[in-house]
Amino acid sequence: MKQDRGFPPAPVVFPGDEPFWEAARSGELKARHCSACDTLHYYPRMHCPFCGSREMSWRKLSGRGTIYSCSIVERSPRPMAPVIIELEEGLRVHSVILDADVRALNIGDPVTLRFVPTHDGLPVPAFTTTRAEAARAYTQAARAEVEAQALRSQRVFRRAVVIGAGNMGAGIAMALLAGGLSVHLIDQAQASLAAAIGRIGESLGRDVERQRLAPAERDARLACLTSGQEMAEIANADVVIEAVWEDLALKQQLFAQIDRYAPPGALLATNTSTLDINLIAAATQRPESVVGLHFFNPANVMRLIEVIRTSSTSIEALDAARSLAASIGKFAIVVGVCDGFVGNRMMIARERQAARLLLEGALPDQIDRVQRNLGLPMGTFELQDMAGGIELTFRARQKAGKKDWLIEQLHARGRTGQRAGRGYYRYEPGKRRPLVDPEVTALIEEASRVEGIERRAISDEEVHDRLVLLMINEGAKLLAEGIVGRASDIDLVWQLGYGWPDWKGGPMYYADMLGLQSIVTKLTALRAHHGDLFRPAELLVQLAEASERISNVRTLR
Amino acid sequence: MNTKGAAYIAGIYEHPVRRADGLSTAQMHADVALGALEDAGLSLDDVDGYFCGADAPGLGALTMAEYIGLRNLRHVDTTESGGSAYLLHVAHAVEAIAAGHCNVALITMADRPLAAGAGTRLAGVDRDTMPNLPFQAAVPPHPMYGYAMVARRHMHEFGTTAEQLAWVRVAASHHAQHNPNAVHREVVSVRDVLDSPLVADPLHRLDCCVVTDGGGAVVVTRPEIAKRLARPKVKVIGTGAAVKHPDAGRIELLTSAGARSGAVAFAEAGISPADIGYASLYDSFTITVIVQLEDLGFCAKGRGGWFVADGNLIAGHGRLPFNTDGGGLCNNHPGNKGGMTKILEAVRQCRGEAHPAVQVARREFVLAHGTGGNLAGTHAAGTLILQAE
Repeated sequence: MKQDRGFPPAPVVFPGDEPFWEAARSGELKARHCSACDTLHYYPRMHCPFCGSREMSWRKLSGRGTIYSCSIVERSPRPMAPVIIELEEGLRVHSVILDADVRALNIGDPVTLRFVPTHDGLPVPAFTTTRAEAARAYTQAARAEVEAQALRSQRVFRRAVVIGAGNMGAGIAMALLAGGLSVHLIDQAQASLAAAIGRIGESLGRDVERQRLAPAERDARLACLTSGQEMAEIANADVVIEAVWEDLALKQQLFAQIDRYAPPGALLATNTSTLDINLIAAATQRPESVVGLHFFNPANVMRLIEVIRTSSTSIEALDAARSLAASIGKFAIVVGVCDGFVGNRMMIARERQAARLLLEGALPDQIDRVQRNLGLPMGTFELQDMAGGIELTFRARQKAGKKDWLIEQLHARGRTGQRAGRGYYRYEPGKRRPLVDPEVTALIEEASRVEGIERRAISDEEVHDRLVLLMINEGAKLLAEGIVGRASDIDLVWQLGYGWPDWKGGPMYYADMLGLQSIVTKLTALRAHHGDLFRPAELLVQLAEASERISNVRTLR
Repeated sequence: MNTKGAAYIAGIYEHPVRRADGLSTAQMHADVALGALEDAGLSLDDVDGYFCGADAPGLGALTMAEYIGLRNLRHVDTTESGGSAYLLHVAHAVEAIAAGHCNVALITMADRPLAAGAGTRLAGVDRDTMPNLPFQAAVPPHPMYGYAMVARRHMHEFGTTAEQLAWVRVAASHHAQHNPNAVHREVVSVRDVLDSPLVADPLHRLDCCVVTDGGGAVVVTRPEIAKRLARPKVKVIGTGAAVKHPDAGRIELLTSAGARSGAVAFAEAGISPADIGYASLYDSFTITVIVQLEDLGFCAKGRGGWFVADGNLIAGHGRLPFNTDGGGLCNNHPGNKGGMTKILEAVRQCRGEAHPAVQVARREFVLAHGTGGNLAGTHAAGTLILQAE
């Protein structure tokens, strides 16, 4: 996606500076050297500013250095720290640090050159930390492993059937169309089908308007899209993806029918974010061909798919699912069956704890700020306001017969999120910036009284630990339970699905940065105050004792 | 040429406006010119030397000479060094008077970035032709980041703390409460400063000066003229100017150009920092004050944080009262240039005409000092030492 925000203006190229900019194009930093007095200077001039000589030549600089001093740009669209860098060659230059944890910078930290594109594409020099580069190298290696696995299957997918023409079904159909597959969309309701086809047409139309898509390509994609109400159409499909409402009985019934019509060897997939896919697979005569495909919303944009293997899924089916994902430009992370799989299970743990922190004394903007300072694009409550989380939680609680005073009050007051203009925050009409609302603050304080909890000041550090260490602990349990085979896969899920920054690797990589021993100590202390929820996972304790890293852990092939 | 005592400051005026919606820049220059001449007891026709910076509209001094109505000019000077320009103007006026080039020098400053929606821009800076900018294209242009980096390095080298920086603002706020024209008149605590949002780590919002419209003017005359006038006599006994810049890759953040301008001014005046009873110090940011105190010799390098702590800059309380009008931090920082207002309050103190609640007793020797440009990049310092006579 094109993103202009945060890009610096194009540099003016003054006469004589051309070699500098030519070098910049190939990622090299150059300075002028005076042969008369043997000094380097920066920025480049045609004469030596130290002796006045014009006997100048260009020298390539190492691009490595350390931070001499730094600040931070608050509320920058991308994390940015103005800095003065002391280069290895001794020159000190004004620059910025990008794509790094700017809130953790210290004078003396090692940095390395990282050119940034400008509006017209001519890159200008900037820097990043070597710590961020190490995290990115880790990410690259993790991605390479996933990509290599996607190449194991030679399966070619041409025809897909998507069942369920809701929001998710339409998004999945668009993702498949973009990958060159033909898609047949099935739904019981003709009106839903018409709406979905309309929405897909509009979305592709917008892409054409924004010049992201050629009109011919849009026409080709729409020509590959058909729809109908007959399950018999499945007979030609290479892959069937069911994306109906999250209802186990409904899905089981559908899979029995899919089993009846689908050709042998077809990949049968259910898009679910919570249900036990073992039970869905059992509704067919070929549970080995059934996988879960957890697309992230919006499915045509988000690159992550959690591929869920059941206890019966065959290696062939898993490889086929990986291959399908790769062929539509997505990243498949294979996970096992559990509530929430990898991403949502960790997120739900975090969100429950965030709700608890509200009752104990924190407010949404503090909790969200701590998460944003960590590098996440938004915090728990901003995210819930954006995704309609209050409505979802309200419904889930209703269904489970559980009471939640605060959620009920928010819901009763129409505070369902950003779209309503108010949720955990209030929003100016047409704006997305969350603003603290005294009504919510009062409600939260009242909720504490209702729950009989005495509010207290909670430090940012406690917020961080109770949210993030809990996630890390949950990640360790996922590894121990064999739900996910590699710690780095957890990190990829968080990067691709939830916007965890690549310069921080992911929750498990971050755990190693924090130090496992310190995490275990902190969890143990939290357990003493807040109960077994914070009991350190066995795996964490073992690794901490052995002084090993958790981000290296792999439990499966 | 030693110009000690070669000229006097005979008139001053500070524009009361802080947001100039109904005024033009030219009108404001005329307002302050007439105000300072009236203060001195002189007329437009007495002016034969005129000084202004890049905030003057059009062709600068020439446009202003016609607009204000200066008919007898034989000397003009449009030295531009950012916020310190007006201190340099006074120094140059003294030199011109000593050399016989003029008798009555008028210096005006006025700008209206707030009303113009121009934020923290400096008048007269053409970014398209600046040779260094392409190589720093990724660096956000706001000046506060440079000062923040000076503060961070100062903390790293000397152990200076955010609380110490905050004391500078606390002192300024104590003074501003007595100034009815000040933008911020509320007295703040160290806690208030630290609780204000971080705008450029480690600087908080209350570590930063105000953005205002306004201006001021100064009239400098030869001694014979000053002595005929009715106002208290303020003799200029020391001036100094210096420039510092990144030196093509040899950036050093701990010392400002003030180390050199101050040494020159004190040498000319023949007094030492201990003799100074009041100091106007450039206060674009709290860190600016701390660095200048060290560079001017009020304390050792690195000890500025300790020097300002515990109210040591508060009039009637501390060792060195500073910016008793509330300074740029609380009162006024017109056109994002605080040099003119530094001179004005120093003259008020020297005359004994500051607000009674902040007037210093030791007013024989006062100092005004400015730092223009960016403390972390290219900047110029100007120092004036004045004597009550």
